[in-house]
Amino acid sequence: MAGARVKNPYDILGVAPAASAAEIQSAYRKLAKKLHPDLNPGDKGAEEKFKEVAGAYDLLSDPEKRKRYDAGEIDESGAERPQHQYYRDFADSDFGHYASDGGFADFAQGDDPFADLFRRSAEARANRRGRDLHYRLEISFVESITGGSERITLPTGGTLDVSIPAGIVDGQTLRLKGKGTPGSGKGGPGDALIEIDVRPDPRFKRDGDDITIDLPISLSEAVLGGKIRVPTPTGDVTMTVPAGANSGTTLRLKGKGAPRRGGARGDEFVKLRIVLEKPIDPDLRAFVSNWEAGKAFNPREDIAR
Amino acid sequence: MTIDTDEFLARSGIDMRLLQQWIEREWLRPDRRDAALILSELDAARARLIRDLKGDFGVNDEGVEIVLHLVDQIHGLRRVLVELRRDMQTTRRSTIRRTRVRKVGQIAAKRRRP
Repeated sequence: MAGARVKNPYDILGVAPAASAAEIQSAYRKLAKKLHPDLNPGDKGAEEKFKEVAGAYDLLSDPEKRKRYDAGEIDESGAERPQHQYYRDFADSDFGHYASDGGFADFAQGDDPFADLFRRSAEARANRRGRDLHYRLEISFVESITGGSERITLPTGGTLDVSIPAGIVDGQTLRLKGKGTPGSGKGGPGDALIEIDVRPDPRFKRDGDDITIDLPISLSEAVLGGKIRVPTPTGDVTMTVPAGANSGTTLRLKGKGAPRRGGARGDEFVKLRIVLEKPIDPDLRAFVSNWEAGKAFNPREDIAR
Repeated sequence: MTIDTDEFLARSGIDMRLLQQWIEREWLRPDRRDAALILSELDAARARLIRDLKGDFGVNDEGVEIVLHLVDQIHGLRRVLVELRRDMQTTRRSTIRRTRVRKVGQIAAKRRRP
C-alpha cells in the first residue's frame, strides 16, 4: 500500500460512516464556510484544505458514488475536484473593479500619511482606466498586402470596424485607441488590441517585403518565349518570358510586392517551372526520339564526377 | 482577460438566465462596450463564488448580498495594504541609500584631514 494514501472522506468531514445525507451536508457546510478560499483571501493553505473537504463531499453527497465507495469499488482519489481559479486570484489585481473602499473610507479623512495613502487609493479606483480588449482577426494573404477594412463581430454582440494597413504581417497587433471598455472618472477608455492572423495563400509566399510565386509554363513558352499572365496580389499582370527560359529561372516584377515604409514597394519574384502536358503529344515524342542534339546534351555535367 | 459567453458559462457553472438575474441584482457588474457585455475571468470567478454560496452553503439571496459586500470591502482593504507595503519598501530603500551616502561622505571628510 502506498504511504501517501488519501484520507478517508468520512474522517475528512468528521462524520460516522453511517451518517445520514443531512448530517454529511451539515458537516460539509460547517467546514466549507470556514475554508472556502474566497472567504479566506489571504490564507494560501485554505485552498488545499478546501479541496480536500469539497472532494470528500462530492463523493459522499452523491448516493451512487457513496454506495460504490462503501463497497470498495472506487477510492478517494476519484473524488478530487478539478483545479479551479478562485475569485480571490483576480480580485486583488488592478482589474478587480468590485473591490470597494467602504472598509477604510473613514481613514481617508485625516491628514496623516495613512489618510493620504487611502485617499490616493480611492482616487485611483475612481479614475480607473478602462480595460484593453484583445481580439484575433483572420485576413486573406491578398488583403494583408493590399490592406482593406474588416468588421469584427464581438463575442458578446456589437461590432468593431478595423482598417487594415497595406503590408501588415502575420502576428502583428493593431491598436484601436479608446475601443476597449470605458474607464471610470478621468480614467479614459482602454484600447482594443487586434492580433492579425494572415491565412496562407496557395499561390504566394511572403519574404520580407517581397513575394514569390511558382509559375508553371509550357514547353513552347519556355523555348520560344512570349507574354503570359501572372497573378499578383493587386490583380493579374502581363509578363514577358524570355525565349529559352528554364525551370528555376526567376523573373522580377518590380513594385508588385508588399508596401514598404516611405512609399516604396517590394517586388514579386516569379519562379518559372516547365510543365509538360500529359500525356506527351505524339508529335513531340516523335521529334525528341529523332533529336540527336537533344540526346547529346547532358544537363548533369556539372554534378557528374 | 476577456472571455466569451460560452467560456463564462463553462467556468462559472451557471446558465444564461442566472447570469442575467445576477447582473440585474448587481451581484455581477461586467464591463460593457456600447450595449455588449464584456465578460472576464474575474466575473466568472465571482459568479462561481456566488454559486458556491447559494448552492453548497445554502446562503439565501440576502445573505449573498451581505457576503459580497463584505468580500468587496476586504479586497479593497487588501489592495490598500499592498500599496502601503510597497510604499514602505520604497521609503525604506531610499532611507538606507541616504544613510550610506552620508557615511561615505564622513569617511572622505576624515581622510582629508592631515
